Amino acid sequence: MCGIVGYTGTKDVREVILKGLKRLEYRGYDSAGIAVRTDEGIYIQKKKGRIDDLSREEVPKRSAGIGHTRWATHGKPSDENAHPFLDCSNELSIVHNGIIDNFNAIKDELVEKGHEFSSETDSEVIVHLLEENYEGDLLTALKKTIRRIQGSYAVVAVQKDSDELVVARNQSPLVIGVGSQEHFVASDVPALLDHTKDVKYLQDGDIARLSKEKVEIWDEKEDLVERETKNIKWDVEDAEKSGYEHFMLKEIYEQPQAIHESILGRLTSFEDIDLSKYDFQEVQFIACGTSAHAGYVGRYIFEKLAEIPCTVEVSSEYRYTSPSDSTPFTILFSQSGETLDTIAAAREAKRRGCNTLAVTNVMDSSITREVDEVVYTQAGPEIGVAATKTFTTQVIIIYLLAIELGLRKGVLNKNKAERYKDELRRLPRKVERILDDKDKIEAMTERLAKARDVFFVGRNINYPVALEGALKLKEIAYVHAAGYPAGEMKHGPFALLTKDTPVIALAIKDHTFEKMLGNIGEIAARDSPVMVIGDEDKEVKKLSDYAYFIPETLPIFSPLLVNVVLQLIAYFTAYRLGQDIDKPRNLAKSVTVE
Amino acid sequence: MKAVILAAGEGTRLRPFTATEPKVMIPVANKPILEYVVEALVENGINEIVMVVGYRRHRIMSYFGDGAEFGADIEYVKQRKQPPSGGTAHALYQAKNKIDEEFLVLPGDNVISKETVHDLLENMNEHSLLITKSDTPSKYGVVTLKDGGKQIEYLIEKPEKSPSHLISTGIYSFSPEIFDKIEEVMQENHYDLPSVIQKILKEKEIKAVRTEETWIDAVYPWDLLHVNSAALMDISKKINGSIEENVIIKGDVKIGKGTRIRGGSFIEGPVIIGEGCDIGPNACILPSSSIDDNTKIAPFTVIQNSVIMKGVSIGPNSNLQDSVLGEGVRTGTNFSTFSDCSRVEADNGLHQVKKIGVMVAEDTHIGSCVTLEPGVIVGKDCEIRSGRTIRENLRTGEKAV
Repeated sequence: MCGIVGYTGTKDVREVILKGLKRLEYRGYDSAGIAVRTDEGIYIQKKKGRIDDLSREEVPKRSAGIGHTRWATHGKPSDENAHPFLDCSNELSIVHNGIIDNFNAIKDELVEKGHEFSSETDSEVIVHLLEENYEGDLLTALKKTIRRIQGSYAVVAVQKDSDELVVARNQSPLVIGVGSQEHFVASDVPALLDHTKDVKYLQDGDIARLSKEKVEIWDEKEDLVERETKNIKWDVEDAEKSGYEHFMLKEIYEQPQAIHESILGRLTSFEDIDLSKYDFQEVQFIACGTSAHAGYVGRYIFEKLAEIPCTVEVSSEYRYTSPSDSTPFTILFSQSGETLDTIAAAREAKRRGCNTLAVTNVMDSSITREVDEVVYTQAGPEIGVAATKTFTTQVIIIYLLAIELGLRKGVLNKNKAERYKDELRRLPRKVERILDDKDKIEAMTERLAKARDVFFVGRNINYPVALEGALKLKEIAYVHAAGYPAGEMKHGPFALLTKDTPVIALAIKDHTFEKMLGNIGEIAARDSPVMVIGDEDKEVKKLSDYAYFIPETLPIFSPLLVNVVLQLIAYFTAYRLGQDIDKPRNLAKSVTVE
Repeated sequence: MKAVILAAGEGTRLRPFTATEPKVMIPVANKPILEYVVEALVENGINEIVMVVGYRRHRIMSYFGDGAEFGADIEYVKQRKQPPSGGTAHALYQAKNKIDEEFLVLPGDNVISKETVHDLLENMNEHSLLITKSDTPSKYGVVTLKDGGKQIEYLIEKPEKSPSHLISTGIYSFSPEIFDKIEEVMQENHYDLPSVIQKILKEKEIKAVRTEETWIDAVYPWDLLHVNSAALMDISKKINGSIEENVIIKGDVKIGKGTRIRGGSFIEGPVIIGEGCDIGPNACILPSSSIDDNTKIAPFTVIQNSVIMKGVSIGPNSNLQDSVLGEGVRTGTNFSTFSDCSRVEADNGLHQVKKIGVMVAEDTHIGSCVTLEPGVIVGKDCEIRSGRTIRENLRTGEKAV
């Protein structure tokens, strides 16, 4: 996920590099840095945080420089671990993407020779190895260096004494941008498109030297080669969406992979947090919007699997509840980790003496500094304003925690836990099967796009999913929708049912199924079009105008699958209505105001 | 130079494994077949790739994205309606607007290597076809040559009696002129590339370029085993997961992140094990086996020369040999297969297969103490109750209770 940009030429180096890095922002990052050649040595600045946090100090304009954005997946984002890295004498600097397999051995050797390391990264060995091999020619030094390292890399190096950049690539993308009296290098094309559309792709084993005037490339046999210059015809936005029309759709389709990433390594042992340190007599979930719905689902999961009584609070209202003697273990959800209301709630919970855990998608975001423990959802960057894959992975984390706690408390036996874990392993594929049915799901949105109001009803663990389905339809399709517990319909909302008010009913074969069938019958009797999402059933087929059956799963896992269907329903309804799906009016991705 | 990859077809002869994903996405050594093709192109400096997609296209698009991760720029064109039979020319025609100079065409469903593509690039003319030898030519398009073997004489699809042992790899170089020829042929209601080739041969030459490099085709489900074992020859040892005490690992074994190999297990390469798997304790994984992500292999189970796709769970004390298990297959304890020379019923015919265990498609649920006899093919979503012995194929969704 990391980004590389390098430049040599006559423009303002710093501006070219920072702008290029910003073009790679959509891939996500948590720290950024830049190194520019000056006559006094390499000027370097790197920080955990945003690209804009790098200060605007003056640096020489006609020069060469490199920049990097890092997205930590494992290990901490910090100023030290950010790229670029410097050698011991401040004369060489590198940025690197990839993984150096044999870095431990090389590092030991270099430390013995007196090199001082400033970070824990594998990348830093490259710059010290380069220094070790440097005898006046950077290119020769790089050739020697890559002979020594094993693994994947895209490396760009700059030196104090010249405006040349040298680069090497192996199994990590690197592309050169060709300009007049200037050259660029980047990990991905979008970083170059503001300046040039002519690019040369490097191949595995290639080494190149870039100066203002020319680019020279050598292949793995060290023969000078010509790599064809290609003209890029697409624009930046297209590239970022990889063939999908919207980020939201792309992110919906990324969910099987996101689930896979979020359970990876956590099923055999959940080591993100030492659960034995805390008291789990009671749990409260606190969050806003879609994350709050994850909390509502979480309540059912915790109560069922771990038999822990739970409450759910909306972040902005939490402070108005009166503190009691009990101090429930508090779990806060925020995709960005920057949601101000949730951060405030974390402080308040702490003030009341609760232990706190944040579940977030962004490494080292603000909320992580306010809580005792953090678990990352590992969903990858989410760009679309409407949360999709982050909801899914938040719920996955809840299952993992609940299973662990259930086992610890002895209320869940090992066999049952194994069955739940097996089902978790199968979820990516079940989501995939729903995505395969997108045309079927799209077909049912014709009616929704014409509706003024839509109801979503569910019972038990799928009641919060009804809330979430309604929220999605409101926020991206601008169709008024309300989620209700199915049993509540006759206590008021029934008055609104007409033949023009579609109702989406969630019917899962748990102990509430018979009751749900009754509710569906009642709604159908009011002439409202009924669309049912749930488990396959003949009776449902008879009663409903439209039914979509999810792949078979245990009822406790149904919210995840049902919700994916509702995401697609919201997406296709919005699409029919021509709405700006990725940037709905009046909404922002991370809400940093109260 | 651009390349067009034809990836729109289902690959019906591989059913039931193509029920939810196209043949090009079927994993070989835990990697979709299509990825081998993309890699072979990128390694030859061909980054601009046009993929013609159709059947289950989102599976392809969500995996490859814009291609950046694979060092390529991938554009997608859709083949919306496929003509009734063999629509390779029709598929290629969809890429017409993306091509304005000489280009390559490749099928997305054969495992090839960097060298295969290199052979064509080194020797090609305006129109060329890459050909290779085959012991079973009648399964493929057979070519005969003229001019001392330099030019294609003619190309016949799947002849009953084969006039030569040279076959088409389906990998071509063409000039954009090909699209005019395709138009002509389509007006005569032919939609396959061999018909277009015959047309060209009447007026022009097509150079025959031979290759002896990797070109492996999986036609039938049991072919996945030899394609898999061939691909496993190229893996190198890399262990990312956690290995408990007293595990023995020999040879080239690749283990993914988040996988745990529990105590007392024995693994002998070439073997690849994906991410997030839970293996053992005391499991035994023998050569030429591929085990994909999120799979669980219970204690005392033996796996040999088999392909196990994602999310499979195999119960304790089971034995799997020369077999293919599709995604999400679950078995109870003492699931047993054995390998033998067998007649397999597939694609409306009987096929003699030398060494074959069983082939079970996705999400089938197998109870405890079940035995499947060699050569049995079980469709997707089947249910086999405990204690059964299965001797005949089961169709999709069939229940053996």
